[in-house]
Amino acid sequence: MTGIAMPLILVLLAIAFAVTMQRIGAKTEATWPRRAPFLGGGLPETHAWQRFHVRYYPMTLLFIAFEMEMMFMYPWAVVYVETGIVALAEMGMFLGILSVGILYGWREGVFRWQ
Amino acid sequence: MNWLSALARGAEIPVFAVAGAQGLAPVEGLRRRPGLRLVDSPRHARVLLVAGAVDAAHKTALERLHAQLPPPRGTVWWQAAPLFARGEAVAGNDPLPAIRAAAEASDPDQRPDVPPHPWQGMGPHGQGGRGMMGGNPYGRPMAMTAEDIRDGLELDAYSARFGPFLPMLPPGLALDLTLQGDVIVSVTVVSPPFEQGVQGDAPDLCAARMLRLMGIGPRAARARGALMVLPKGSGMRRRLAAWLRGGTVAETPEPLSEALPGLEWAEAVLWLASFPPSQLRAVCMERQAA
Amino acid sequence: MIAAALTLLLALPPLVWVAAMFDRIGTGRGAVLIGPLQNGAALLLRPNTATEAPDRLNRLLAPGWYLALALVGLSVVPLAPGVVASDISTGLVLWGACEALTVVVVFLHGWSPNAPLPLIGAYRYVAIGLPAMLLSMFVLIGAALPAQSLSVVEVVEAQREIWNVIRQPLGLPLFMALGLAITLRGPFDYADGAELAGGTSAEESGPALALWHFARAAMLVAFSAMAATAFLGGHLGPVLPGPVWLLLKTLVLMALSVAAGRFFARMPPARMLTFLWVVLLPLSFASLALVGVEVLP
Repeated sequence: MTGIAMPLILVLLAIAFAVTMQRIGAKTEATWPRRAPFLGGGLPETHAWQRFHVRYYPMTLLFIAFEMEMMFMYPWAVVYVETGIVALAEMGMFLGILSVGILYGWREGVFRWQ
Repeated sequence: MNWLSALARGAEIPVFAVAGAQGLAPVEGLRRRPGLRLVDSPRHARVLLVAGAVDAAHKTALERLHAQLPPPRGTVWWQAAPLFARGEAVAGNDPLPAIRAAAEASDPDQRPDVPPHPWQGMGPHGQGGRGMMGGNPYGRPMAMTAEDIRDGLELDAYSARFGPFLPMLPPGLALDLTLQGDVIVSVTVVSPPFEQGVQGDAPDLCAARMLRLMGIGPRAARARGALMVLPKGSGMRRRLAAWLRGGTVAETPEPLSEALPGLEWAEAVLWLASFPPSQLRAVCMERQAA
Repeated sequence: MIAAALTLLLALPPLVWVAAMFDRIGTGRGAVLIGPLQNGAALLLRPNTATEAPDRLNRLLAPGWYLALALVGLSVVPLAPGVVASDISTGLVLWGACEALTVVVVFLHGWSPNAPLPLIGAYRYVAIGLPAMLLSMFVLIGAALPAQSLSVVEVVEAQREIWNVIRQPLGLPLFMALGLAITLRGPFDYADGAELAGGTSAEESGPALALWHFARAAMLVAFSAMAATAFLGGHLGPVLPGPVWLLLKTLVLMALSVAAGRFFARMPPARMLTFLWVVLLPLSFASLALVGVEVLP
């Protein structure tokens, strides 16, 4: 029980510490010119928040495939030595198939910011 | 909090340096000075240092920058004529005493306290109007969709003036950029980089500026690997290698409005840093004259 | 368990100080010992700056979350036989969760000020952080195989005869790549790099900036302790008591990370993305396969 509680307690401590420390600094009123985003003296026309053109979105799909694979890998790691060569072959095949995905993605240019 | 202030008294003064004409080499010389630390953003700084002449056309930009230093703040004009009546001017070779004095000063704001645009719109935050995206919430409109040059996906385009005092660009270079994500879509040169003279083209200085953008120092760059991280075919490897050997670079860059579109931000910044300031200035001036 | 947690809380600030000293060595500014403290104090006394219409809550909490992730990640590391702050049987999974959430927190930090340079930093960090995290989990699974357990305590016990760094030589260097990524350092610093004038922290000032640096250094400590535990046998070692060994190994890895961050240059992000997926990730598969063959009975 305490094993699960400890991370939560630590999170609360860290957050409390961080929020308290941020109250130390001097207080100033925020005027409009002070609040403008830093662009080296330049000004933006619009707010920065936008439907951002993320150039790596095909990569994130590939990432999800591997992330799901990771979920199978946790229990696999625990029973690996018991199961022996079969486990090695199974995971080898699985990773092999996913690796073809990397090669395909590479050919299609998913890592190229386009 | 007395012990905190006592401890803080020995701290290095964070300085945001604006390099004007002939100011690049002196600012680089300050980089290793004990007692001060050059920072990349005015938010991190206590003192604004203007090194070298800045022409009056950039007065507003400089005032905006001044306003972005969190108060209390100070200003030092080093070998530069003050453009506005804040801070102290120094003519000598050593600005450190003046910077120390400025670190005790407290300049008031130089710009008027008004939002960038009046809050027009139908909602209480200035929003509403044309669809969901109209109006000027918090003094600015939201970004709108536009065509993209790489994948044809129509997402928001971000247009802004970058510079003239962005630390990763050559000092004085101001660009009107439109970005889609972090890829540059269109470029207009607003003002060319400042004249830096022969000192500004010194190989070690140019190499150091470029390497700083890559996150390493000149000693680490002696390993061949440092050149491998630069994109092939852009000439950046060749130019950096020349500087590291102590040679000069005499290549003329393409006009910026043709070379930069299509580049991602980091590539664009490295490409600009891979040319000596004098060459960049020449190519920008040529364009303006035409 | 509570004693272990208290030890961690007491040890973390001095270790953060040491991390800041490592960052200062070789920069030629002197005052290696006291300098970081003075600069930190000066930052704490400066004001926080507001930006135009920021996401206030996330802006306030981002440094705290980062610190919390470092602390939780550190808490799964056994300090001595049987002395762990978070004594759970799936410590490696908890550490993996901290890695993954770091990407989220850094993103929030860049998102919340509503300013262009932090926003670009945030988005490109996600691109690099995701594959870097994947890579680290493959090498950590490699460390878990001989232990037949996801418990960090068992991972240490399985290294009684021989350390993982010798048994799986590819593991530690690949794990270091993750360390550089989650501590925003050198070649993997796509969030806070110089080409974005400080990136996600470009708009931060005063205590918020000081805390972000503090949390970043705390993450370096957590990462180094974890790497020392998974690959260098953690608290195992002759003569000296366990915690001292762990401390020494952690310090060595901290120094190595700082040095690696200064030695390797940062590539444009698209190049790094390709490098991660096409070179480093297959290397981690190879490392896992080698471990798999080796631990078979």
